[in-house]
Amino acid sequence: MTAALLLIAALSVATQGIDSLPPRHSPRTVAIDERLAQDAGFRIGDTLVLAATPGGAGDTVIVSALVRRSRDPSEVAKGAYRIRVHLDALQPLVGYGDRVERFAVATRGAAGADSARRAIDEAAFGFRAYSSHEIAVESSTTFLVVSRFHRAIGVITIVASAVFLLCIMLLKVDERRRDVAALRLMGISARTIVRSVVLESALIATLGSVAGVGLGALVSAFVNWHYQRVYRTPLTFSLVTGEIVAIAVVLSLGLGLGAGWLAAQRLVRRPPLSLFGR
Amino acid sequence: MILALARASLVRQRARTLLAVVGVAISAAMLLDMVMLASGMRVSFGSLLLAQGFQIRLAPKGTLPFDTDATIPDASGIVQRLRARSDVIAVSPVLGAQLHVEHGTASVSAAALGTIAAVQGDYKLLEGELPAQDEEIAANDALLAAVGAHIGDTLRVAAGFDPQLRAYTGQRALRIVGRAHFIYLSAGERAMALPLATLQSMEGSSRTDRASLLMVRLRAGADVEAARAAIERDVRTVSAISTATAIEQVEQRLSYFRQLAFILGTVSLAVGFLLVTTLVTVSVNERLGEIAVLRAIGVRRVRIVEQILIEGSAIMLVGAFLGLGLGLVTARYLNSILAAFPGLPEAIDFFLFQPRDAWVALGLLAGCGILAGVYPAWRGASLPIAATLREEAVA
Amino acid sequence: MTGDEILVAARDLRRDYAMSAGVVHAVRGVTLDVRAREYVAIVGPSGCGKSTLLNLIGAIDAPSSGTLAIAGQRLDGLPDRDATLFRLRRIGFVFQRFYLMPVLTALENVELPMSEAGLGKTERRTRARELLAYVGLGERLHHRPTELSGGEQQRVAIARALANKPALLLADEPTGELDARTGEEMIALFERLNTDGTTIIVVTHDEDLARAAHRVVHMRDGLIVDDRRR
Repeated sequence: MTAALLLIAALSVATQGIDSLPPRHSPRTVAIDERLAQDAGFRIGDTLVLAATPGGAGDTVIVSALVRRSRDPSEVAKGAYRIRVHLDALQPLVGYGDRVERFAVATRGAAGADSARRAIDEAAFGFRAYSSHEIAVESSTTFLVVSRFHRAIGVITIVASAVFLLCIMLLKVDERRRDVAALRLMGISARTIVRSVVLESALIATLGSVAGVGLGALVSAFVNWHYQRVYRTPLTFSLVTGEIVAIAVVLSLGLGLGAGWLAAQRLVRRPPLSLFGR
Repeated sequence: MILALARASLVRQRARTLLAVVGVAISAAMLLDMVMLASGMRVSFGSLLLAQGFQIRLAPKGTLPFDTDATIPDASGIVQRLRARSDVIAVSPVLGAQLHVEHGTASVSAAALGTIAAVQGDYKLLEGELPAQDEEIAANDALLAAVGAHIGDTLRVAAGFDPQLRAYTGQRALRIVGRAHFIYLSAGERAMALPLATLQSMEGSSRTDRASLLMVRLRAGADVEAARAAIERDVRTVSAISTATAIEQVEQRLSYFRQLAFILGTVSLAVGFLLVTTLVTVSVNERLGEIAVLRAIGVRRVRIVEQILIEGSAIMLVGAFLGLGLGLVTARYLNSILAAFPGLPEAIDFFLFQPRDAWVALGLLAGCGILAGVYPAWRGASLPIAATLREEAVA
Repeated sequence: MTGDEILVAARDLRRDYAMSAGVVHAVRGVTLDVRAREYVAIVGPSGCGKSTLLNLIGAIDAPSSGTLAIAGQRLDGLPDRDATLFRLRRIGFVFQRFYLMPVLTALENVELPMSEAGLGKTERRTRARELLAYVGLGERLHHRPTELSGGEQQRVAIARALANKPALLLADEPTGELDARTGEEMIALFERLNTDGTTIIVVTHDEDLARAAHRVVHMRDGLIVDDRRR
């Protein structure tokens, strides 16, 4: 475990204790990552020696708690274990003296946060104050990139689906061109035929999107189960929200209507006799 | 003649064939992109690591190179021990740090790499000289632009701040002697290289004789894995990572993209397959009479199968060729999105085109095209001639 | 009529179809000999089994029982591959609805069986031109079926049927889709073909076409009820 990581660990406030013993004064207690406990077979109450370098002089500590990683996306791909150590125990261990890498400052309300940040920045030399929002934006860049990537893939998928749907609709109307020719010769209007084709296409698209939502929910559940195991994190990777379902259904319906209309035009623009192949 | 029939059958329903080709082209583009994504990162990262000829990297025990701020103690001693090995040609120690360049009343921070200029493998000199002497640096364009400096200028650079004294710590006046491109840094990241000893002294006692990374170049023909294992046994404070291991570890971290590539690639193939199967099946159903007549006048089953398979494959292949072009364009676009990953070396390509990828995609699509024609071809070839003609006459 | 050898020899030929409503006996024990160079018309009411008999003789359907030989070659129990080759080389088919390949020109339609039989391009093109000229379509070689009249399409179909110099020409209602005048032209063409040595069996409702044949076979309920030579 490195000095930097230990410092971060010591200062982190977002810990999520899942099991703990009452703290003892000597030797000092530490909280360890549940993944480390699983992999190394450590348990609460075990005595460990922490050192800044492999084989170097270290401190004897007692495991008093296991902590689970927070649902922080920026932590997902990091395999390193975290140990949370009391700050005053860590500083001498890693030779940092009276130094820290960052402070977390709690303020009263959002306005208080802004004024505190300004005051700190004016008084500070060598460090800067950031709002939690700024840090969140900074640390979520990776996920913004992934999100943009997914959006681009989504657009390609939508284009492919549109072509597929249009193709299927063309096949369907071609299949029944003789029936349609007969209907038109009987006096059924082009408008009625367009309406029926568009309706059918919309129905196919709606049924497809409902099936797609079901499949999506299943895939989403699988993705979460799989990646939560791969990265050993409680983070939710895939969410099927009401908004997403609505977008999917509306988009499918739009594509269905469009494809149906285009396919129907192919039927009604040709004279009925030519639909018979004459 | 069968070829002419197949071609004519496709041309007969132009709009339908065109749509199918477009659909396949999109699927093919996606497939190519996913094949590129599946292997691109590995190849790109591998060539990046081997670009300067270092096959083994030593990082502080239990870490990956520059993954943490941890450093390796007794760097000079380890370098000497490694140089003494018969299979080692060169060892390049590197110390990484964040330095602050005075710029007016503020400061500009930049990544700094302390190296030994003669053996370094982290940057390429574009102009000027290597920073071999104490208090010399080579900077990249981003840093030079940020501080408005040029080769020959002197910068005041500090290792940190002392907030109580309100003063910089470890400050030195460093002269820019070269302009460099840093191989492993992300685009736009400000960076400078300086002699290892200079950086160690600026960082103070916590970095004395320490390095973040040691890169080892082996003799040609040396057994990399054996050397790696021997070094790790010999030097207890490091993890020795060969290029293959490094690639494996990075791949493990970014396994998401490989899995995504596999899933989307499979979906693309399935969509292309379904599209062509549907189209060819409908097309065969529409001309069952024609097929029955062909059989009646003595055309063999195998010819019918050939004709239908040719139709399916032709749609797939034309779509695939168009798709390969489209895939290269979309790959560039998708790569430009992923290139914005924070901390990703500029030279890393998620979507790296290799002729092998095109062949793999083309092979998969051709196979899929043939498979897509199997059902309709079987249907066409096995239809009862007399019954079909009778049904056609009724229709 | 001639005293040529027997080309078609059918003995107690039967063809049953299993339908959802039960078994249909389409042909119920037909015995028929047709000599080379004969011109035979099979007539009878719809559903009497005449087209089924024609399909059996043409090897596009297989008998449920009985024996069938054409030019000495047994067709009953013939594997599909051999039946296909037999049709290609020995049988010419003409259908009521022409069934030309709509995507091919008249010339290509006629070339098709020759291409399948492995004839070289020059040879088959020359023969296709000759055949189309023979049926009176020398000027319409490069027209597609949709650009031809019904009579012209049927002429192309006849030329196609003759492409591989078949031993037997089978025609199923060849005038069924044609108007009276074009039908007459077709009857004349069949007579000319027979005069030139082609053995013809034609299934028809067309009395004029039947009258033109030298032998008329009447069928009813899957059986031959009358067989007269003129």
